[in-house]
Amino acid sequence: MPSLIRRAAKPATVPVVVEGATMRFNGLTALDDVSLEVNPGTIVGVVGPSGAGKTTLVRLLTGALSPSRGAVRVLGEDPNRFSPRARQKIGYMPQLFTLYPDLTAAENVDFVASLYGLILFRRWRRVREVLELVGLSDARNRRAAHLSGGMQRRLELACALVHDPSMLFLDEPTAGVDPILRERIWTELHRLRDEGRTLLITTQYVTEAEECDAVALIAEGRVIAHSAPDEMRRDAMGGDLVDVEAAGRLDFAALEAIPVVRRIRRLDDRALRFTVDDAATATPLIVEAITGSGAEVRSTSEARPSFDEVFTALVARDRLARDRETASDAPDTGQEAA
Amino acid sequence: MILFQVAIRLLAFVGKELVEIIRRPGALVSLVLGPFLILAVFGYGFRGLGDPLRAIVVVPPESGLPTDLATYQDLAEGLTITAIMASREPAERQLNERQVDAVVVIPSNALGGFIAGKQATIELEINVANPEEQAYAGVLAARLATKVNSAIIAHVIGVGQSLAVKAGDSAAVQIPASVIAEPTRPALVNLSPTTPAVTSYYGPAVLALVLQHLALTLVALSLVRERTSGLIELFRVAPTSALEVVIGKVLGFGIFATVIGTASLALLVLVLRVPLLGDPWLLASVLALLLVASLGLGLVVGLISDSERQAVQLSLLILLASVFFAGFILPLREFSPPVAAIANILPVTHGIELVRDLMLHGWVSAPWHLGALGLMSATLLVVGWLGMRRGMARI
Repeated sequence: MPSLIRRAAKPATVPVVVEGATMRFNGLTALDDVSLEVNPGTIVGVVGPSGAGKTTLVRLLTGALSPSRGAVRVLGEDPNRFSPRARQKIGYMPQLFTLYPDLTAAENVDFVASLYGLILFRRWRRVREVLELVGLSDARNRRAAHLSGGMQRRLELACALVHDPSMLFLDEPTAGVDPILRERIWTELHRLRDEGRTLLITTQYVTEAEECDAVALIAEGRVIAHSAPDEMRRDAMGGDLVDVEAAGRLDFAALEAIPVVRRIRRLDDRALRFTVDDAATATPLIVEAITGSGAEVRSTSEARPSFDEVFTALVARDRLARDRETASDAPDTGQEAA
Repeated sequence: MILFQVAIRLLAFVGKELVEIIRRPGALVSLVLGPFLILAVFGYGFRGLGDPLRAIVVVPPESGLPTDLATYQDLAEGLTITAIMASREPAERQLNERQVDAVVVIPSNALGGFIAGKQATIELEINVANPEEQAYAGVLAARLATKVNSAIIAHVIGVGQSLAVKAGDSAAVQIPASVIAEPTRPALVNLSPTTPAVTSYYGPAVLALVLQHLALTLVALSLVRERTSGLIELFRVAPTSALEVVIGKVLGFGIFATVIGTASLALLVLVLRVPLLGDPWLLASVLALLLVASLGLGLVVGLISDSERQAVQLSLLILLASVFFAGFILPLREFSPPVAAIANILPVTHGIELVRDLMLHGWVSAPWHLGALGLMSATLLVVGWLGMRRGMARI
């Protein structure tokens, strides 16, 4: 599977290109040298904890902010100077509820559709369609203030979709939404992707990374990993993970000598976790080695650590790398003292 | 096609603003009906300082003057004599206890002093903190002195004429003593085409004030709400320009305020019976200019406010300044030139002047107010548009 996020500069057909973007506010760095690309027809998840810089990145991409350094191109244009044509192709769902509480759901969507210049009959049709799409048809005449938090998020999604954009920026569309509705929203987002739209979605729910075609893991304003979810998991864990449960005495040294095995961790008296290059090819070799040593293999399975674990591992690795970098940059104070 | 889309966007703003206002009827009632109800109650209930002051007349026994109440009541215009007393202490006690409003002290030897060629003093004692009441009492005191002086002169002339007639000079009574004592008397002729009345005088000013306050508050609150809620970000991403947002708001609230203005004018003319002597179309133009200037001011308030609370506070400050400095209660000419110049920054200052002139006099005595209002409208709209453009620009 080709990488969905790449660093190199690419032709204008790539909908989103961010090159070394840095954003500083009053001396604080909200984004630090961020580079990423988003390929057409994919869902890219910008995943990270609250305050990591996700919304700042979206605001850079929608033209609300200008980078202090670096460059941003969306649909081949500088977001600071989007042409009306480019604006027509962009749908944006802000992080907070920003619609009019005194207007009904349908009136809010109709207003946003009007901002994009949709003429009356098309507007009515699109309002009906998108409200149906997000499951708000029955609530179309209810004031936005009287909708639940989840319904308000769906209403905002409807507003982002009403003008039929090809590029969508959705800032935490599932925040504050119950798991059932969250799943429904993701189903809808996958459907939009399958129609050929490009979606950049931020989320603080790390587990939602699985739903994306590509993930940019962001922490403290830096993109610390960017790849497809499976690649990211493998990268975080150092390879595929194979759990083996065996009976009898295991020869640890012999198992470590298997060429495809990178690392072995004991889970309990009878279970081991192997880190390997590729689970499919390594598993038969491991089983063969164990049975060859006289032990019995009771079960094997490929372990899929959760994205919480993946995220934790990647953040820890990044911190370690930065600490080392800082230590190597620091002057040798001992010599100076001498 | 582009113009068509611009029209769609403008209509979207107009529709949205109108629906939002209609959905908040409580705010509407308090903003529009409140001031008119206050005016109506004020108009029907206000009696001003026209009530006579309750007074005690102190007539010292040694003065030799009469002590009957009727004699003094005839002389004391604007006073209701409640008692005649021989000494001032009990009268002043009642004045201090505010049981009466004034004490008139007759000099003990007025006649003797007069014969000796000395001026006597009639004291009018009051006990007030209100400068208006003090000024009113001063007028009453002057009137009392004039009346008493006339009475004395008339009395002296009468005595002289009697003596002359007795001496055989019949021509001495050709001119009555009262005419000699008071050769002239005032006659106030008001050339105003309308009879001064509290409701008529304040009604046009309330109309101007309500329009300014309504337009300013609504547009400022709407704008600050959109800024603080993040809706501006939606406008920024959409193909919507700052000019469209500004024009949309001005049109939306303009239509609404026009309806309110028309209804308020009808209420003034048909219910409160305030005269409308001028050209109704010129009045409509003046109100439209006032409205546009107020909407422009509201845009500026909405752009500089960081929260709805701040916008409300600023609107109230402008309302307060308008009540005091715009000629609503106190005429602008009573202020020093620097303060009067500052007052001219408020659209309602010109609005009150023009609306009063047109409604109560039928014409505009100072047309420069029209120019000032027009200039103010254009300036505030441009400032509002530039501010909006800056607000929608990238950081």
